[in-house]
Amino acid sequence: MTMAAVELNCVTKSFGDVQVIKGVSLAIRKGEFVSLLGPSGCGKTTLLRMIAGLEKVTTGSIIIGGTNSTRLPPERRDIAMVFQSYALLPHLTVRENVMFPLRMRRLGRKDEQQRRVDEVLEMVQLGHLANRRPRELSGGQQQRVAVARAVVSRPQVLLLDEPLSNLDARLRESMQEELIQLHRQTGLTTVFVTHDQEEALSLSDRVVLLNEGRIEQEGAPTDLYSAPATPFSASFMGSSNLLDVQIEAAKGAPCATLAPGSALPLEPGCAAAGPATITFRQEDVQLLPADAEEGILATVETRLFLGSRIRYVITAGAHRFRCLASPGHSFAAGQAIRVRIPPGRIRVIGRTLA
Amino acid sequence: MASHREDWAIAAPGLLLLLLAFLVPVGSILALGVRTEGGEFTPAYVIRFLTEPYYLGISWRTIKLSVVITLVCALVGFPFAYIMARVGPRLRLWLVILITLPLMTSVVVRTFGWMVLLGRGGLVPDIMRSLGLVRRNYTLMHTEVAIVVGMVQILFPFMVLSILGVILRMDPRLEEAARVMGCTFLQSVRRVVLPVATPGIVAGSLLVFTLSASYFITPSLLGGARLPVLAGSIYETATRTQDWPFAAAQSLILFTAVLLLLFPYIRLTRKAGG
Repeated sequence: MTMAAVELNCVTKSFGDVQVIKGVSLAIRKGEFVSLLGPSGCGKTTLLRMIAGLEKVTTGSIIIGGTNSTRLPPERRDIAMVFQSYALLPHLTVRENVMFPLRMRRLGRKDEQQRRVDEVLEMVQLGHLANRRPRELSGGQQQRVAVARAVVSRPQVLLLDEPLSNLDARLRESMQEELIQLHRQTGLTTVFVTHDQEEALSLSDRVVLLNEGRIEQEGAPTDLYSAPATPFSASFMGSSNLLDVQIEAAKGAPCATLAPGSALPLEPGCAAAGPATITFRQEDVQLLPADAEEGILATVETRLFLGSRIRYVITAGAHRFRCLASPGHSFAAGQAIRVRIPPGRIRVIGRTLA
Repeated sequence: MASHREDWAIAAPGLLLLLLAFLVPVGSILALGVRTEGGEFTPAYVIRFLTEPYYLGISWRTIKLSVVITLVCALVGFPFAYIMARVGPRLRLWLVILITLPLMTSVVVRTFGWMVLLGRGGLVPDIMRSLGLVRRNYTLMHTEVAIVVGMVQILFPFMVLSILGVILRMDPRLEEAARVMGCTFLQSVRRVVLPVATPGIVAGSLLVFTLSASYFITPSLLGGARLPVLAGSIYETATRTQDWPFAAAQSLILFTAVLLLLFPYIRLTRKAGG
């Protein structure tokens, strides 16, 4: 088995009496792109800053590239970091900024450093702006300088603290593509902090979902997306439909009863009878006319036109849930309809305790 | 443009006050230094000042003391301001109060305080004697050291507050970025905080230098008659010998010297500002 590039062992962090990281263990493979995802206050940035050495570890240990770095100051860790505010040194030019880590870490001879800086600036397409100062650049360009400055020293781990959140939507998309390409070119082990689930899903090899200082769930983006393990994962991954239902095992195939007489069929053997929470994605809900043969009876409560899609809020009995439909067929608010959800798309997560 | 006219209207009272209470009297005093009694232009008083070794000695002492005072203020003020910027807001408030509190007592009172502390039998010579550094009856009064100590204490807040403003506006992530890029703590202060804080240090130095070059109470009380500085000399000339034109000529020279300092400062801040 290859050695992990970064290893966190039961790491905790307390600020005074408040414990913000409650025992996180995580091994990041060499060359892996891992996202720390979670809502604000979940501890993702604190965790990243602990890997960087900018926050002290309360208990537990952090091993970077085989070196126990728990108590090492940031300058003695083999890391690089891109800050949300970019933190470019305002009194230095772009070239001097990118050169800075090489000079401070005394990596290579002067001419090698020059060559390396030129190479990296070309990679982020900023060769022509090398002699500008940061304040003369646009947000996207500053972002690229920050990335160039981080990859230039070829660190053991590259840490990214919500680097795209200050960019507008279009720039963010193109920067995402550039980040993926950069990761492929450099092969750097990367830890990426974000609160944007789409960003985490599209960029990473593995997503670590954090909630209140703990790992809620981790796995490949497709797993997290299609198989949330907890109600928190389900709602954070955009599967906003969580219904507390009664599971009934009627003649082999179980079904989830929403109201007397309206039950959603489930996959055989997926849950035992009793109260439970089910979740399904908005785009998996199929809406049918009220006179259709199948599906359960429901009512359209609200209809929101989103351009490429239409979002409906549906009520069935005492339950409300959302549906994202293509604009092919349209239902009006207040209209009675039938709802069908493919049994394989419904996940039963955690039994609600009576 | 209407908004332009409104701007002028709002600024007018202040400008008028500045004109009547500052520019006119200062201008007429300065004019006094280069005019004969008949009202014609004469450089005689200025030439007299620039050729007499006594006055050149005074100028040299004024410049030397101001430079030393400015350097001491900057060397002590930068670390102090840095610490103030990095402690919590509550402690920072207390430090600001501590720093500015002396400003609320009279300069004369504070100078008398120094006279007690530095004089014969005062606290400072006593401590130095018990450490075996000096003989009995040693006094720091009427020395240039006394002037520097007294002036640094008075002008220190100006330096610290100028630098504090700049460091507080600095993104604290810059230092963290420097650390992550391989700087030790001291290297990050030297290579990031110091350059970013330079405009504040320059502004503070300019303030301290001009103020110490034109201060006369503290230097004349702590330095005495044997160590005159330019501002004290102007005061003496105007009040004791009542030679107003010569006092005006000395003022003109002090004024010009300070003005000459402003130009490199403006260029420097413009460079730093963008």
